[in-house]
Amino acid sequence: MREWLNRLRDWLRREELDRELTEELRFHREQLERDAKGEGAPAESVPYLARRRLGNLTRVHEEARDRWSWPWLDHFQKDLRYAFRGLRRSPGFSATVIVTLGLGIGANAAMFGVVDRLMFRPFPYMRDASTVHRVYLTWQDRERSRTSSAFEYTRYLDLTKFTTSFSQFAGFATRRMAVGVGDASRERSVAVVNASFFDFFDMRPALGRFFVAAEDVTPKGASVVVLEHGFWQREFGGRNVLGETLHVRNIPCVIIGVAPKGFVGVSENEPPAVFIPITTSAGNEPNERMAATYYKTYNWGWMSVMLRRKPGVSVAAASQDLSQAHVRSWNAELAIEPRGTPASVARPAAVAGSLKTPAGPDAGLESKTLLWVTGVAVIVMLIACANVANLMLARVLRRRREIAVRLALGVSRKRLLAQCLTESMLLAALGCVAGLAIAQWGGAALRHILVRNSSALDVVTDWRTLVVAAGFALAAGLLTGLAPAYLAGRGELAAALKAGAREGGAHRSRMRSALLVVQGALSVILLVGAGLFVKSLDHVRDLPMGFDSEPVLYATTNMRGMRTTEAQQEALGQALLTAGQGIPGVESAAWVSAAPFQSSSATNLHVEGIDSVRKLGRFTYQSTTPDFFKTMNTRVLRGRSFTAEDRKGTPRVALVSDAMGKALWPGKDPIGQCMRVGNDTVPCTTVIGIAENAVERSFSGEKGFMYYLPIAQYEPGSGYALMLRMRGDPRPHQETVRKVLQAVMPGQSYIRVQPFDEIIDTERRSWKVGATMFVAFGVLALLVAAVGLYGVITYNVAQRMHELGVRIALGAQAVHVMRLVVGQGVRFALLGVVIGLGLALVGAKWIQPLLFQQSARDPVTYGLVAVILLMVALLASVLPARRATRADPNSALRTD
Amino acid sequence: MTPSSRRDLLPGTLDMLILKTLVAQPMHGYGIAQHLQRLSEDVIRVEEGSLYPALQRMRQKGWIKAEWRQTPNNQRARYYTVTSAGRKHLGQQESGFLELLTAIGRIMRPA
Repeated sequence: MREWLNRLRDWLRREELDRELTEELRFHREQLERDAKGEGAPAESVPYLARRRLGNLTRVHEEARDRWSWPWLDHFQKDLRYAFRGLRRSPGFSATVIVTLGLGIGANAAMFGVVDRLMFRPFPYMRDASTVHRVYLTWQDRERSRTSSAFEYTRYLDLTKFTTSFSQFAGFATRRMAVGVGDASRERSVAVVNASFFDFFDMRPALGRFFVAAEDVTPKGASVVVLEHGFWQREFGGRNVLGETLHVRNIPCVIIGVAPKGFVGVSENEPPAVFIPITTSAGNEPNERMAATYYKTYNWGWMSVMLRRKPGVSVAAASQDLSQAHVRSWNAELAIEPRGTPASVARPAAVAGSLKTPAGPDAGLESKTLLWVTGVAVIVMLIACANVANLMLARVLRRRREIAVRLALGVSRKRLLAQCLTESMLLAALGCVAGLAIAQWGGAALRHILVRNSSALDVVTDWRTLVVAAGFALAAGLLTGLAPAYLAGRGELAAALKAGAREGGAHRSRMRSALLVVQGALSVILLVGAGLFVKSLDHVRDLPMGFDSEPVLYATTNMRGMRTTEAQQEALGQALLTAGQGIPGVESAAWVSAAPFQSSSATNLHVEGIDSVRKLGRFTYQSTTPDFFKTMNTRVLRGRSFTAEDRKGTPRVALVSDAMGKALWPGKDPIGQCMRVGNDTVPCTTVIGIAENAVERSFSGEKGFMYYLPIAQYEPGSGYALMLRMRGDPRPHQETVRKVLQAVMPGQSYIRVQPFDEIIDTERRSWKVGATMFVAFGVLALLVAAVGLYGVITYNVAQRMHELGVRIALGAQAVHVMRLVVGQGVRFALLGVVIGLGLALVGAKWIQPLLFQQSARDPVTYGLVAVILLMVALLASVLPARRATRADPNSALRTD
Repeated sequence: MTPSSRRDLLPGTLDMLILKTLVAQPMHGYGIAQHLQRLSEDVIRVEEGSLYPALQRMRQKGWIKAEWRQTPNNQRARYYTVTSAGRKHLGQQESGFLELLTAIGRIMRPA
């Protein structure tokens, strides 16, 4: 290794070494001559004697030089210089190639950065990450397969008991809790983890220690906390905080340690501020019953489980072991709650999957869409490569005389190939630099669109991204260099030498045409995808949700574990509502027990004449205050909505959604019907109105049935969230509303206010991401393909100037010449369109699940894309065609 | 001394001889050649030019260092010095070589 470094250093100063050797040998010779003279040799034989002693000096020189010369390095240097000169001579070509490759590489580097962080990159400090899994539970529920990584603590304990394939277990959850006291308290992300959690990592605390098993015990763990490094730096200035107290929710915790820099546990989004024992969190739940029973019952699934396979246990075997454990756990649950579904029907199983949920079996639509977008980035890269290869080909064709001359002069084809590759590699390397710059800059935009809360997407300092970018550049260099190199090294010398700058050589332009068609086809695929996603997004936006989200603010309270009586809750709820309604700009306000997409409540429902209402579908209720329908703009189709008179003590009333009324009382008027809410012995709840159907849990999921109850009759107290309808844009009012409401909150509790639209937007993200990225990449692809087409047609026209001149001389009209040239361009495009549409049709079935109420074989989209591509092709060939009509018949005739 | 009585070097031993020479004191190429010739009493025949490729190789391997100095006669010459890596290498070579010599000696000794 050292020797090679020395050799490299010598290579760099080889001329100096050469000089030194000459001087050294001269010195030696002089000494020998002096010796010879001293021994009395005749003067004329002195040089001869000296030379004889020294031996063959030429050979000495050569042998020494071999020690510091590397022929291929010399060649490479020459090629590089040659390539640089070539690129400087044609700056337009170089810039086009570098920018094209830069866009391709940049798009891929940026996408890789996102996907890698989301799905593949191991968490910092994780030891032997390939053996660590998150557990996903699966079961059958009403004919549907369910997958979830949410565990009850009891189920986690079951798994540790019933399995044998694992060496380590840890339960963990990320919860939002208030941290700190008084003005300094903020709602932060808190990692609640088992003590064993830290054993999955190779690290030492930056300060103090992590908590141990003795501090993490059921029913209630010790009140200790470990700080995240960044949080410690920001909030405590990095001072020694051991032994101080930090309030986490309602728990005064002793700070026992600080995690090392960069340690985030297994948090996928925002890094947690602090780590506390999982049993400390659960044992201090404000809900006393939950706090006392969370490790004995199965009705609170709130945490995730990770584990490490023992050496030699395969992933399949691990999943099998987990599955049998889930069955036993399921039966253990049935022993406590016999009303559940039997295991034979629910078929419980489990999977040892990726620790990162977007790469696990429970991955959301968004991460699937993201994978597709990554594929799209690769296609953009392919188009860019095809384009660059095409440009390089054109260059080689233009230079074929020069190349033929060099071949004739005895340059070996291998050297020629090396030269071609050097040139394309140089371009790719420059493209890589441009790409990284683009990725760095575009990373900010990507972060905005794709990954919220994620840590910085710094491309230039991330070696994984750098390696991938370099890999793409290498591939691009090879792909774009090999074809021209192949052509350059082939071909009929004599013909090329004889021919002038004319004579394209049919087989060569065939290759270029093929590249062009490929580009067209790929662009078509991307544009079709873009069209489908845009339409999906439109459908989602146009979907009648059954409520307004734009003008609504959404306020949720956090009591910080304060235990309050029902009466206190009710008073607080009323106070907040009154305060809210009094704020200028607030049109109306209402408490809800469930906010769409955020939470839902369900209970047993009994209707006379129906055995099991549950079998008809999912029924969820919304208990709310009278102004609900006004606030959310959910239309009451018939009957009346609630009033202040519908309170405790008055007859129970309810509104049902249109669909629910039709499902429960087909052919009858639901108004006036009786349903019993909770169990079948309670008094009748009378239906007093029909509300329009509303979206409840997700845009794409199953359709549910919704009914509305007056909060005062059913569950008095403040509800889940306070919805406030504003006049106009709610954003400017956000802070005022928060301040007014906060003034009402008692003690350490606080209230959070955000635009409701933000929540809805989150739900639309996957289609938004798909639409944005597909459109961006699709337009990019179209642009690149158009430039490619333009280049080729222009080149072909230049090649055919002579022929066209002859045609004009023979009386061809400008229109005919135009048609000839444009026809060629359009033919390429047409072929590309046909192939592209065909491929899109084939691929449609895979993209279908990502779309929203949109057929992946939508003829309108396909047609539109075809028209767009043909138009662009037309445009790209009209310019060169106009040049063609100006072919000079005179010069054409004169040259031959 | 007739040319036929001179001996070619065993392959691989030139490096060792050069190192051994330089351990005594830093020297230039001509000095090394003189030294080898003198100590071997003219038995070892080295084409003196062939020292130089060997010196380059050893320098690249990091066994010796080269620098320009003035000779006692005030001429500029390139002096070579053994590095610590060179000393280590010489030690290994020496012991291996002596073992080999003894073994050959034992075989060649008249029975």
